[in-house]
Amino acid sequence: MSECKKHIQSIADYIDGELGPELCSEIEEHLKGCKNCRLMVDTLRQTVILCKDGEREELPESISSKLNEAIKRRWEKKFGKA
Amino acid sequence: MNEKELVKKAQSGDFEAFSRLIEKYKNKIYNLGFKLSGNRHDAEDILQETFLKAVDNIDKFRGESSFGTWLYAIAVNAVNALHQSKKKAELKPIEDFLPGGHGSGDGAKELFEWGDPHELLEQKELNRVIDDTLAEMSDKYSVPFILRYYEDLSVKEVADSMNLSVAATKSRILRARLALRERLSEVFKEKANERV
Ligand SMILES: [Zn+2]
Repeated sequence: MSECKKHIQSIADYIDGELGPELCSEIEEHLKGCKNCRLMVDTLRQTVILCKDGEREELPESISSKLNEAIKRRWEKKFGKA
Repeated sequence: MNEKELVKKAQSGDFEAFSRLIEKYKNKIYNLGFKLSGNRHDAEDILQETFLKAVDNIDKFRGESSFGTWLYAIAVNAVNALHQSKKKAELKPIEDFLPGGHGSGDGAKELFEWGDPHELLEQKELNRVIDDTLAEMSDKYSVPFILRYYEDLSVKEVADSMNLSVAATKSRILRARLALRERLSEVFKEKANERV
């Protein structure tokens, strides 16, 4: 258990491909013998995939044009007429 | 024209150049605001505040970080200002998310196996669970998680945007990720039980 606690940040780095080769093989060794950490790898990986699968919120045209007007006003105050 | 050149032109007062930078980032900043607040109104406020501050401070940008990282830092401040009065959930320490930890959501010593989540829950429902969980947790966790995985910033870039160390940033991202994992796991478990 304390083994798993110690490894959790490395496990996240491992999933994201950000772990050096030495730590990588240490983690893989631990994973071989630890079902919970294997499930942790699988579900933490899926968590991010499921998040990314969600739709992005479209920026409504009305908000976009309001934004452009507000920026232009602020710009002209700072730099003079654009 | 690359981003650096656009920024240089914008700094000398070229509105056209700045407009192109707006085009590149407006959807990203809006999405960040939407994910954090869960509503269009606040997302719009965050978007406007970010770009107006960017106009005010464009000459102070020295290019130590990328323009995007600089812009996200402004957005993070805008979010903080907006959410100051809103109570959001603090997350428990990392070890408490692990099986057998104090108050770990799964309770049991063994983790629940997800299999194919899409068999248990439709994408729409999945999105709602994820969005609610992100909107409920304190921004100090949701912001770095969103920047890292939705906006694909590197950990270093997230750390720079939030003015945090890399280690602290990684730990916050992981706590958000564990909280989302735990919530999803609870929902999947419920759904699986309903089926039996
Ligand atoms: Zn383990």
